[in-house]
Amino acid sequence: MANGIQPDITDLPIKEIDISTILYIGYILIIAYIAVRVLSWVLMRLSERAGIYRISVTMAIPLLKIAIYSTALYLFITAIIEPSLSQLVAFAGLFGAALGFGLKDVFADIIGGIVITFERPYQIGDKIAIKEHYGEVIDIGLRSTRIRTPDDSVVTIPNFLVFNQSVESANAGKTEMMVVIDLFIDPESDAGLAMNILKDALVTSKYVYITANRPYTVLLDDFPFYKRVRAKAYVNDLRYEFEFKSEVTRRAWMAYSREGIRPPQVQRILPETADQNERTSEPST
Amino acid sequence: MPDEPQGSAESVGASMFKDELETITAAIESYGEKPPDNIAMISDPFAGQNFIIEELRHRYPDTISYLPFFSVVTSKDFIPNLYTAKDVVIMERCHFLALRKVGGFAMLDEFLDFISSSEKLFITTWNSYSWSYLNAVRQIEGFFPEIIHLPKMDSKTLKELILSKYEGARIEFIDDRVIEKKQGFEVLERKITLPFTNTALTIPWISYSPGESKKEEIEIEDAVFNRINIIADGNYGVAQRVWERSLDYPEMKTSNIPEVPCAVDLTINEAFLLTIILSMESIQLVDLAEIAGPEINIDQNLYRLIQHGLVEEEKGYFHIKPEALKCVCNYLTRIRMVW
Repeated sequence: MANGIQPDITDLPIKEIDISTILYIGYILIIAYIAVRVLSWVLMRLSERAGIYRISVTMAIPLLKIAIYSTALYLFITAIIEPSLSQLVAFAGLFGAALGFGLKDVFADIIGGIVITFERPYQIGDKIAIKEHYGEVIDIGLRSTRIRTPDDSVVTIPNFLVFNQSVESANAGKTEMMVVIDLFIDPESDAGLAMNILKDALVTSKYVYITANRPYTVLLDDFPFYKRVRAKAYVNDLRYEFEFKSEVTRRAWMAYSREGIRPPQVQRILPETADQNERTSEPST
Repeated sequence: MPDEPQGSAESVGASMFKDELETITAAIESYGEKPPDNIAMISDPFAGQNFIIEELRHRYPDTISYLPFFSVVTSKDFIPNLYTAKDVVIMERCHFLALRKVGGFAMLDEFLDFISSSEKLFITTWNSYSWSYLNAVRQIEGFFPEIIHLPKMDSKTLKELILSKYEGARIEFIDDRVIEKKQGFEVLERKITLPFTNTALTIPWISYSPGESKKEEIEIEDAVFNRINIIADGNYGVAQRVWERSLDYPEMKTSNIPEVPCAVDLTINEAFLLTIILSMESIQLVDLAEIAGPEINIDQNLYRLIQHGLVEEEKGYFHIKPEALKCVCNYLTRIRMVW
């Protein structure tokens, strides 16, 4: 059997490469690149108009990239050689092994990209945390994923990390996501009133999204020197995550100050430091 | 121009909501036999719930107390009226009991406290978007065992309802539409000849047809109301408004029915104000400012909403422009400002 295959492999029919072949390959690569860029741009524009279906539309982008680049690769190979099926399989194996040793990280990234595309641990538009980075996924390429952090930095993350790092997706493909807002109050303040105010600030926010499946809650926790009032609710669009937090916090604190609810007193948290501060600030007699 | 004749739209309107009226009538008739099932009637702005209320007041003048709200409720003054009201109380526009701000649910809570311990039957009307919101944040449907959603009307019903005002008068419908062209893709057969052979093959071929002259084969009256209903989306008030603006009595030309393009792209603050105006149906500047707080510039945002043709002002009250209602609702639902 092996004897039957061997001559077939060794007789790999490499085509004559002339200027027109090089031009043809160049065209394929350019067209594939342009097609990917144009279609990605069109889909991104469409997704921005799709409202709650934004992330569903962007989901198609990595799939499209793989399809276009795979087709381009196939055309590229068949432009150079004219293999039979067994030759193609053997060639792919050898080619993969040879390159795998030299460019194993690149190939791991590409396989990671394919896994991300089909398994979808995250999608374009998701807010993810991977290693120490947190941000919105703006592109899933064949080799890397790019995320935009809250301070507008773009972080490029190799796709192979999906194999050995846990990925946290805050919204899992949805447009809305849960936001947790913590306010800390003095233990002597009226905690019940503080909870009611935070609840009102939460549900009247312009960013909030509440349904039977997306409920909100306000919780109280007691700590030695302060109480924590925690609100959990969904923001209607994950892009407003921080605006939502800020707006609710600001409005809640405005109402707290009206109602005499105070933040934790430094003297309670750090009594020794506070005493020291008082002593040092006392005028000498 | 002669005066436009006025017919009995109210009675026709009441017959359009026959099922809803029957449900409420049954609740009123059975009052006293069992604990009352309070009723919440939920409808979109301009949808015509006033037909039902008018009919109920007409049928039960001695049994019903009518306590409507006309603007945002800021004090508990309405509570004493509830004590002295008759056994059946109609409370119109109850969405004015809540204001979307910190502490803005106090009046609603007072009202819900009252009806929880009252033996009277409350028939309440709510804006559908306010209802969805208040139900999500306060679960108010638990206080109203009977919930009635006003249905959308079809073109035929709208036609009947609107033309009922012109009984005995003749309206001339004129079809001056630009001939509609049927456009689209179609599958054709195409013959091809394979290269280097003389073999001819027939293959399916997709072709774009720019159009052929075809008029819809429907009555001109129906065509007019179909077109109105595309804008109104089954909403009586909107249809009425479009009709009135298009009618050049006694002529109704199809070309007078306006096109209502819907390409809305608003900032979050504009969208929020639009949501409030939609939910409250009609709201004063002072109440809008109360909700918006210091971070939203009311004047600038309202100006832009009016410029976009989405909102209009009438005697100090802001409301959604009826023709834009469908567009506004679709947009706000799409960006999840209303649920």
